[in-house]
Amino acid sequence: MKLLRLALRTLRREWHLPELRTLAASLLLAVVSLGVVATLASRVERGLLASAAELIGGDAGLSAPQALPPPYATEARQRDLAVTRSAGFPSVAFAGERGQLLDVDAVDGAWPLRGTLELAAHGATSAGHGPAAGTVYLDHRALVALGLGVGDRVQVGGQELTVAAELVSQPDGGQLFALAPRALMNLADAQRAGLLGVGSRARHRLLVAGAPAAIGDWLAWVKSRPLPQGAELVTPEQTQQRMRNAFDRAGAFLRLTALLSALLAGVAIALAAQRYARRKTPEIALLRALGTARARVFALLLATLGALALPAALLGVLLSWALAEGAWRLAGATFVHVPTALPLLPAWGAAAMGLAVLAGFALPPLARLAEVPPVAVFRASMARRVRRVDALYLVPGLVALALIWSQSGSAKLAGILAVSLFGVALLAALLALVLLWFARRIAPGAHPALRLGLAALARRRGLSTVQATALSLGLVALLLLAVVAPALLEGWRRELPADTPNWFVLNLQDDQRADFTARLQRLGAQELNMLPLAVGKLAAINGKPVDQLHFADPRAKEWADRQLRLSWTGTLPPSNRVVTGRWAGAHPPDAEVSVDTMWRDMFALKIGDRMRFDVGEGTLEATVGSVRQVDWSSFRVNFFLLLDPAHASDLPHTWLASFYLPRGHADALAKLSRDYSNLSLVDVDALLDRVREIVAQVGGAVRWVLGFSLLAGGLVLAAALATSAAERRHEAALLRTLGARRGQLRLAAACEFALLGLIAGLTAALGAFGAGWWLGRAVFRLDDFVPPPVPLLASALAAAVVIMLLGLAGTRKVTRTSPMRLLREG
Amino acid sequence: MSEPSQPLLEARDVSKTVRGPEGRLDILAGVSLAVHAGESFAIVGASGSGKTTLLGLLAGLDVPSTGAIHLGGQPLQAMDEEARADLRRRLVGFVFQSFHLLPALTAEENVMLPLELEGRDDARQRAHDALDAVGLHARRRHYPAQLSGGEQQRVAIARAFVHGPRVLFADEPTGNLDQRTGRHVADLLFALNRDHHTTLVLVTHDAQLAARCGRGVELMEGRVATPAAAR
Ligand SMILES: Nc1ncnc2c1ncn2[C@@H]1O[C@H](COP(=O)(O)OP(=O)(O)O)[C@@H](O)[C@H]1O
Ligand SMILES: [Mg+2]
Repeated sequence: MKLLRLALRTLRREWHLPELRTLAASLLLAVVSLGVVATLASRVERGLLASAAELIGGDAGLSAPQALPPPYATEARQRDLAVTRSAGFPSVAFAGERGQLLDVDAVDGAWPLRGTLELAAHGATSAGHGPAAGTVYLDHRALVALGLGVGDRVQVGGQELTVAAELVSQPDGGQLFALAPRALMNLADAQRAGLLGVGSRARHRLLVAGAPAAIGDWLAWVKSRPLPQGAELVTPEQTQQRMRNAFDRAGAFLRLTALLSALLAGVAIALAAQRYARRKTPEIALLRALGTARARVFALLLATLGALALPAALLGVLLSWALAEGAWRLAGATFVHVPTALPLLPAWGAAAMGLAVLAGFALPPLARLAEVPPVAVFRASMARRVRRVDALYLVPGLVALALIWSQSGSAKLAGILAVSLFGVALLAALLALVLLWFARRIAPGAHPALRLGLAALARRRGLSTVQATALSLGLVALLLLAVVAPALLEGWRRELPADTPNWFVLNLQDDQRADFTARLQRLGAQELNMLPLAVGKLAAINGKPVDQLHFADPRAKEWADRQLRLSWTGTLPPSNRVVTGRWAGAHPPDAEVSVDTMWRDMFALKIGDRMRFDVGEGTLEATVGSVRQVDWSSFRVNFFLLLDPAHASDLPHTWLASFYLPRGHADALAKLSRDYSNLSLVDVDALLDRVREIVAQVGGAVRWVLGFSLLAGGLVLAAALATSAAERRHEAALLRTLGARRGQLRLAAACEFALLGLIAGLTAALGAFGAGWWLGRAVFRLDDFVPPPVPLLASALAAAVVIMLLGLAGTRKVTRTSPMRLLREG
Repeated sequence: MSEPSQPLLEARDVSKTVRGPEGRLDILAGVSLAVHAGESFAIVGASGSGKTTLLGLLAGLDVPSTGAIHLGGQPLQAMDEEARADLRRRLVGFVFQSFHLLPALTAEENVMLPLELEGRDDARQRAHDALDAVGLHARRRHYPAQLSGGEQQRVAIARAFVHGPRVLFADEPTGNLDQRTGRHVADLLFALNRDHHTTLVLVTHDAQLAARCGRGVELMEGRVATPAAAR
């Protein structure tokens, strides 16, 4: 208690010290920037998850080859969760003479719990739920194929059902399009018809929705026991690949920005703590000389620091909440369809992390302070470094690493950042040492004014190196945030340019191609692209029929049973990259197939293996010629299996077209689809919108963080420049007594800071370029991303100029120091 | 002894007042003195009597609240800090009680500083000569931390006279040194005074040292107690 009072008194006495204020400000900024970002990120993530939930029709669930046992539903209802059951299976529907294989989903009246089921009837569209008993919804393709309209009767699974509406769109996990036409029927009808019994190919689903905490609780309960045979968890994170990629990237972005701003604040904290320790040295020496025990000195320092840090951290939490809420209100307008509450927890986490950074960066110098020998009272030079404590300087490094690790949430991101920052620090220190050595060499021969500045830098070699390193680290974080992150975001956005194909056409016949293309062009469609599409089955590998083959990968069996989509082309499609083998081209001597990496892994395929496919009446045996890495997040049509056109074009096939048509032309398309009634047109604008929305959200959040990071960066600058202020003042006073003109001192300082700024700016630009290049490829999967060199270099030079100006501004006071000071300090 | 007509350094009715926490404080009041070229002049007095303050005023580091000070015929109180810095560079050398060498510079580089400020090209050669004169030529590559107190003060003396100043101000130059070392340092100062006719203004509370000076004043609570008198 006494200690605390003493600590508080110390704090009150020392509050005027700039070191302590910087320390408090740095901590506050660290907490606020981490807190705001973490809060925003958590909220955006909730929003994203909610968006994803809309795509799958619920917050979470289970899918299994048989109906899920009642406890799963009971447990959910006990937690106030809404529950819905559904089952999906293929079934042939009949209407009069015509029959058609349909993808049927049998659902209950509660489905979907999230997202919207869009229906059309009698010229009007509406949102709805699962069909009532005795009714069915069919999509456009099914209606056309069966020659039906709304109100007609259709037979599904031996039951007579009424078509109650046309199915426009449904939550389906973000799939671009289904292979077969689709139908939605009542779950009870399907059960009654025996479509779901033992031996059926139905996939049963149970989806739940409700409060996030209850969902988490239910998931925990589910995971606490073995899942039923063949069952899988369904979570929003498992939506279609292209949505998941968007979510992943968004998360990485938010974490990256939070991390960088926290590191910036950490550097500022470290510099301020170092200065504080230096300032306290004589006082501590005195305390020690007067007989205060080392432990007590350390306890006093700790208590003082604590008394400073806790209120600052608390203030940081409150500010984080306020700012995060404000930012949400300002930027969150596009997320309005997903209500989310302000998450309170992340800000507390940020406070804890800020305190950890403070402890990690400030304790080593303070611990060293406690080691100051009492004799230092007599000679300051006695307060030299104490070896024993030097290992403590690993602590800030470890804290930084832990921070990178915990915040990045990805080992890759953490590794790249850690390596890059370490490299930058090393490079800056090296460059500083080399330039300082050089400065010392050329100083004697330089212009008298330059000579002073160069000599001054070289004179404070240790401090100058620390300054240059800290400035470089600060700048690289700033450049990554201000230049590289927006460029990455832009690169991502460019993946989905405004003319990304937003319509797909399935089932186009050979003889319809020319006419259809001409009509589309008249409508103003752009980016028209056509690919042949054959539907078949994998029959044999290396001559062995698939049903006799045994696969280690469980997915292989499923794919072997499934209908496959095959296509062929002479040129490697964009968003595909050959990783093994050679692309076959248009005219290979023998039939070749190119497989994607997932197929290679599932079926353990190698170059030279032979695969046989049955397509309708036809069959084709092809040799594996290449393996492709496919970017499934692109909104292009991609295939696991690509054949060569010379040998495959005789297989029975239809055409798949994709094109871009500006919004608002849908009416013209409606006429087109009436004239070609066998075609089905798929609109993917909604999906594209989702991804664009995510990019925009992340962009908004990143912009917000940038403001705080700029503040933190400024603080780093100020703290780094202040590290040498005391030395500078003493030196200036001495030079003044020796008759140095003010202009001489200013010029010397300008040249000194310009050199510092140049070192920091250049290393930072280099570091940000390298880190950006690496991050772009390894984390954000933008393979042709090149960080913009000109803005980077320009910002780095601008930063150098700012450092020079700030340094000069800080020197104004120094050059005004009265030379009397020296006599007084005597 | 024939008195030169114009003193090199002259203070007339100088006072210095500062505003402290308890209001105005008169540190110096009505101090007058004159120092002629080539003289050695002592300022003595108890601690806190205003010696350092007076020295600072005489050397043009600060300006008096009232009164006039002329250095080399120039009125210091009428000049701005920039002009006074110029004057200092040309006319003045300093020796401090606690040496004030720059720790990151070698002895040689410390001595070169005043010459570098003037932008002279022969800085290194003259620094060597000056270090030679104080008997530290062999230690010129050493840093202050590697030198004893006496050696550091000798380097400081070399720095003070390397650019050939007309007046050398010393504030308790032996205050941080033991007696023998102190005497050696004082010998150096008086040798400079003798051999180069460098005027020496010395602040000290050491009566022995003061006695070696040609003339001096004693300060008592900011006033001249014993007027300058030839000894
Ligand atoms: N800037 C100042 N503000 C307040 N008091 C001062 C200031 N400078 C000097 N003094 C006071 O003036 C008196 C004379 O100081 P100083 O000239 O250093 O004496 P000496 O060198 O003889 O020991 C002392 O009492 C000192 O505390
Ligand atoms: Mg004094």
